[in-house]
Amino acid sequence: CVAVGSATYAQERTVSGRVTAADEGSAIPGVNVVLKGTSNGTVTDAQGRYSLVASEGTLVFSFIGLKSTEVEIGGRSIIDVQMESDATQLSEVVVTALGIQRNKNELPYAAQQVTSDQIVQTRGANFVTSLSGRVAGLDIKTNNTMGGSTNVVIRGYKSIMGNNQALFVVDGIPVVNNSTNTASQNAGRGGPDYGNAAADINPDNIASVNVLKGAAATALYGSRAANGVIMITTKKGAKKSFDITINSGITFGTINKDTYARYQKEYGGGADQVFATGTFDDGTLPAVNFRADASYGPRFDGSMVYHWDALDPFSPNYRKARPWVAAKNDPTAFFETSVSSNQSISVSGGTDRNTFQFAYTRSDEKGILPNSELDKNLFNFTSTFSLTEKLSVTASANFSNIEGLGRYGTGYNSRNPNEAFRQWWQMNVDLKEMKAAYFRNRKNVTWNWSGVNDASPLYSDNPYWIRYENYANDTRNHLFGYASANYKVTDWMDITGRVAYDGTTDFQEERYAVGSAGSNSGGSYTRFNRDFNETNFDLLLNFNKKISDQVSFRGLLGSNMRRSILTSIRATTSNGLVVPKLYNLANSAGTLPAPTEEYTRIGVDGVFANATFGYKDIAFLELAGRREKSTTLPLDNNTFYYPSVGGTFAYATVLKQPWLSAGKVRVNYAEVGNDAPALSLYDVYDKPTAFGSTTFFTLPNTKNNANLKPERTRSYEAGIEADFFDGRVGFDFTAYQTNTYDQIIPVSITTASGFNSAWVNSGEMRNKGIEVSAFVTPVETNDFSWTMRVNFTRNRNKVIDLYGEGANAVPNVQLNTLSLQGSVTLNAAKGYPYGVIRGTNFLYTNGQRTVDNKGNYMKATNSAEIIGNPNPDWLGGIHNTLSYKGVSMNFLIDIRHGGDIFSLDQWYGEGSGMYANTAGLNARGVQSRLPVAEGGGVLLQGVKADGSPNDIYAENQNTNSLTPFGYSANGGAAAPHAWYVYDGSYIKLREVALSYSVPQTIMDRLRPLKSINLSVFGRNLWMKKNMAYSDPEEALSSGNLNGGYQSGAYPSVKTYGFNVKFSF
Amino acid sequence: CVDSLDDYNIDQKRAAAVPATTLFSNAVKNLSDVITTPNVNTNNFRLYVQQWSVVEYITEARYSMTARNIPENFWGGLYRDVLADLKESKRIVNADALLLPEVKSNQLAQIEVMEVYTWSVLVNTFGNVPYKQALDPKIPLPAYDDASEIYSDLLTRLDAAIAGFSTTATGITGSADILYAGNIEKWKKFSNSLKLKLAMVLADKDPGKAKTLVQQAAPNVITSNAENARHTYLTSSPNNNPLSNNLVTPFTTRKDFVAGKTIIDVMNTLNDPRRPFFFTTVGGAYVGGRIGFTNDYALTSHISDKISAPTFEALLLDYSEVQFLLAEAVERGFITGNAETYYNEAITASILYWGGTAAEATTYLAQSAVAYTTAAGDYKQKIGTQKWLALNNRGYDSWLEWRRLDYPVLLPPSGPDVPDNLKVPVRMIYPIVEQNVNGAQRELAAAAIGGDASTTKLFWDVN
Repeated sequence: CVAVGSATYAQERTVSGRVTAADEGSAIPGVNVVLKGTSNGTVTDAQGRYSLVASEGTLVFSFIGLKSTEVEIGGRSIIDVQMESDATQLSEVVVTALGIQRNKNELPYAAQQVTSDQIVQTRGANFVTSLSGRVAGLDIKTNNTMGGSTNVVIRGYKSIMGNNQALFVVDGIPVVNNSTNTASQNAGRGGPDYGNAAADINPDNIASVNVLKGAAATALYGSRAANGVIMITTKKGAKKSFDITINSGITFGTINKDTYARYQKEYGGGADQVFATGTFDDGTLPAVNFRADASYGPRFDGSMVYHWDALDPFSPNYRKARPWVAAKNDPTAFFETSVSSNQSISVSGGTDRNTFQFAYTRSDEKGILPNSELDKNLFNFTSTFSLTEKLSVTASANFSNIEGLGRYGTGYNSRNPNEAFRQWWQMNVDLKEMKAAYFRNRKNVTWNWSGVNDASPLYSDNPYWIRYENYANDTRNHLFGYASANYKVTDWMDITGRVAYDGTTDFQEERYAVGSAGSNSGGSYTRFNRDFNETNFDLLLNFNKKISDQVSFRGLLGSNMRRSILTSIRATTSNGLVVPKLYNLANSAGTLPAPTEEYTRIGVDGVFANATFGYKDIAFLELAGRREKSTTLPLDNNTFYYPSVGGTFAYATVLKQPWLSAGKVRVNYAEVGNDAPALSLYDVYDKPTAFGSTTFFTLPNTKNNANLKPERTRSYEAGIEADFFDGRVGFDFTAYQTNTYDQIIPVSITTASGFNSAWVNSGEMRNKGIEVSAFVTPVETNDFSWTMRVNFTRNRNKVIDLYGEGANAVPNVQLNTLSLQGSVTLNAAKGYPYGVIRGTNFLYTNGQRTVDNKGNYMKATNSAEIIGNPNPDWLGGIHNTLSYKGVSMNFLIDIRHGGDIFSLDQWYGEGSGMYANTAGLNARGVQSRLPVAEGGGVLLQGVKADGSPNDIYAENQNTNSLTPFGYSANGGAAAPHAWYVYDGSYIKLREVALSYSVPQTIMDRLRPLKSINLSVFGRNLWMKKNMAYSDPEEALSSGNLNGGYQSGAYPSVKTYGFNVKFSF
Repeated sequence: CVDSLDDYNIDQKRAAAVPATTLFSNAVKNLSDVITTPNVNTNNFRLYVQQWSVVEYITEARYSMTARNIPENFWGGLYRDVLADLKESKRIVNADALLLPEVKSNQLAQIEVMEVYTWSVLVNTFGNVPYKQALDPKIPLPAYDDASEIYSDLLTRLDAAIAGFSTTATGITGSADILYAGNIEKWKKFSNSLKLKLAMVLADKDPGKAKTLVQQAAPNVITSNAENARHTYLTSSPNNNPLSNNLVTPFTTRKDFVAGKTIIDVMNTLNDPRRPFFFTTVGGAYVGGRIGFTNDYALTSHISDKISAPTFEALLLDYSEVQFLLAEAVERGFITGNAETYYNEAITASILYWGGTAAEATTYLAQSAVAYTTAAGDYKQKIGTQKWLALNNRGYDSWLEWRRLDYPVLLPPSGPDVPDNLKVPVRMIYPIVEQNVNGAQRELAAAAIGGDASTTKLFWDVN
């Protein structure tokens, strides 16, 4: 017989419909609609409409943040779909490496997504801060400086001396997150905190953020992704649509006084309880000891005394005495209300052949310090053209311009007002009077004169002088974007070619005005120019084919070429400035010292392949491999390979229990290699400033190593995910272990070697931990719902090995190559967690702190004992969403438990007698600052050398450093550092937001307006912590010295804001 | 592709090969800096010998070596900033096949002498230090060597260096030699003077050896202030005198230091003509600050404008100290001669150096408390006291001579406000960071010298 059936053509028909949100009924643009098992698909337009040529099979509707939905066509031509939000995590579509969208069910590794509305909910100026507490495994620390650094670490510190920051990727393109802060700034020696470049990403343009935590998730990005990836997907226009969204918000901030110094108000300026003497218009009277930048001075008694303003010829109190009382306005009066406003417009849309998205955001921020301002202009443009059915091209450009004025000074430095306010201050000094004194003539009228008859600044400037004269300014222009072309070769294969560019240009100016205190009294000017750019060339082959009815295959072949160039130059004047207030290099009073120049290039080539086999959507096996070559390694050792393998099994599909709506287990193993920092192979010489006509060269402080080989990370991960009761409850549990070995580290060696450090290939660090994210929707009715999400992270870090063997094994590497003020150190110590603090410890007797025969704490003989571990025990986040009709309320609680911090602020501030515990009454009810013989003194908790309880009162008058406290304890011998190590635990009410969307029924009458959304919100409104006087999250900068040390810490800022959003 | 980008590893902004002399010059300047600076983070010897005192912050004046990284900075300042560059310059000179043998020999000798000088400062400050295994980053945990053995080796090396000088050829010349502008004759004298100085350190411990070495060196030492080993600074940072960085604007507004009561009281008693060159007056008088206590800056003498000037020169060795050494050598019977003549010449040279006149020197010497025959005490006290005055502003050397001669008597601060049992340091403790980076070796060394304390006497400090 003759077969005729083969000639039957499937009848081509069109299916169309509208996609709406299940809860609000509003249209959802941009939903992917694909005929299952094919690449035949489309995207919904602004009204949520789609149309697709298809006759039979199943349509898959997917959208980031929503539950993906499958509908059998079953001969219908109109199919309307309601999509639910992503309560069930498993069916979520996530964006993975290289921008590829995948169903979460397939992923053999942990990935956690944050949606756009969560990111902009409280309008943080830097979107990175909005991720804090939202993702298990992600440890974010944000500094309280304006536009300041954020430290982003996923699953713990892995590299001993290298980069540990997560990689930021926008639409598949790596984006630099460099900090331009100096090594000095990192070590707390001062310098403004300029923040990192990820802050340039426009939060209003983000569609979703996906955090890829493990090595397997990131094997395709190569070495730089060893620390995990923050994947950002931006908003795109939809075909046949046109939308305009306008957003306007304003935020106010005030300091959280609970995170700032609280002062004693009984004693004024002085190093002992003795006044100086001045002879002015009111006769010979006591005068404040202006020189002493401490508050161990005489007790406030209202008697007539010459204050600092008696030396200011333009003050009404010039040559006059006034009562000796505590200042009405202590340093907290210095902080102003911050105001930031944020305006954005986005226009998106498309025809049937193209889509576009344009967004512009303007944000202006005035910080809590006087004379501080940060202005941002952010532009985004993305457009896709379908040139033919098979060929489409996309171009995207993002430009940001950041102008900073008066970035906050940090660390132990005169340009950080907290150095004085927290460490060296006189309680008789009134901030409002300081302000008036500065503004009278804009002169450096300080409280810290050199003497009663010497009105020149000694150590500290007028704080307003610091802000209005010794300020920094900076500009950063950041351009990143790409052009790509996609060609669908067949319905199961396409090719993408892409060129991406990312460049930043930084310009920074720092100044000291003529007349400042300290080492720059003649004025000084520093100029820094830095250019960085990186270009990535990618070629990707994508395969997506059903091998049989039951077995699917998804494959990827690709190559990447990366080239980056960094140039910078920094120059500083010497010996002051010739013309005051003229800030240019030519104005240097002394011969201009040689500038510091930098020019580094890195080239990395990678080829990679990825294959995922699926069995009936139940089980998936994924194999991936990459070969990379890097210029930073020696030619004969510059290639490294790394494989990964992983699998998932959807056990719920097999178990088929009604209460179990979804469930999956996953395991994976991955290796990642890492190259060396640029220019660490060959020895070169440094060139100090020439000595007149004598040329100098010197060996650098770090010995290079021409035999470096790649650093390696091995990671294992296993997880189980489950959703119950139709997605009302679910969890995702992951356990992992990561070992990073052959570490490329500049191991710190004794300077007797002639160097501070030498590059070696050695050492191993282990991180292991668990992550849990869970959610529950206890209530879900038509009008009201409540969903709670919880994240929990516990990471344990251990330095397994350092360098050398046997008797030559190096037991400890100091992480701070520059010494930290207070002479504590941060270390990688063999057998201990990363970053442990070393310093002087208490001398313990039977587990009790021991005091000496004068009642002061004794110190253990080893002056470098481990006295703190800066790593948190665990991190947690609790996020609640309550919604009632169009009103929804969100709040996020962010928890850090454990993590030690040495506070230089307390070390100096208590030694200076500024804090309440250094004054007041002692256990006998007598003023502690009276001599012990008169019943005064301080009784410290502990035991005497013989083990009996301490009953010796320690002197606390500070006559020649007679205090039990801080640096000035025990006649200058200083207290144990361990006394100033604090527990960094906190619970923060990170975000609260109340928002209202005008219901669709009303909106239908307000056309062309499509939606109106109003919200009020707050950030960091409440906090509970153990560390007094400070925000335990505060650090100096981002990077490896980020934990464990505070100096000149800024207070936390509570922000409150209002936002309105219109869509047309 | 990547393999064709090998030049990416070549630093475009830093030199891969440099002239040996530039490393030498830099090392000598760094040596001068670290020896001269009064920065409390590095060099507090002026406080220890009570030539200076402090105003507000007494921690260092009470001999704390742990509240700041003082030992680390001094140690690193010598090893990393001086010795490493000297070693590297020597390597480059040795590798230079085009140098004439005599020039090479001179250059190596100049470098060697500076190395010996620097090592001697390390040994005389810390005791046992890494020596044989030092300066090699391939040995991250170098063993500490016995101080006395290092010392012997230094003297051997110094002899070899002296023998290596050839006055008929050039060495490191011109502005690259910031001490002697390439004058090999002066280098020989400087080297012999250094030998005399190092030999005299052994005088109590090994008088026989000291005598032999002193006899060899004495005829060849420097003979005038014109032959001092001096380093002149420039006006602009970072090439100004580090004293000025810590004393005057525009380099600092801090006013941390005043004259020490101990030295002021002695100089006042002796009507010392050098006072105006050392210190300022308060109401016409020289007033010293209490030792180890806070002082009122306005009511105490400050460091003079002369010393505070950015261009003020630093001395690594001078004629006056050499003459004092010869006076002492006569007293010890190492050489023949007249101790009083040397003593008078030493004091006169110092007064003239500082700006006094010959007449002032004569008047000064005529006082019974100064005159060699009538001044109080034995030769150690007479020489010790006057040398201490002459070595004002040479904190390290002053401290060395004080430990050797045990005069003048320096009392640590005491009283109810002061921690018990303070003692003027006779040694600097090992850098705290050594506990972290070379702990086991440091521990062995600490045990070998009798404890890593500032009260542990060095091997030659036997009396």
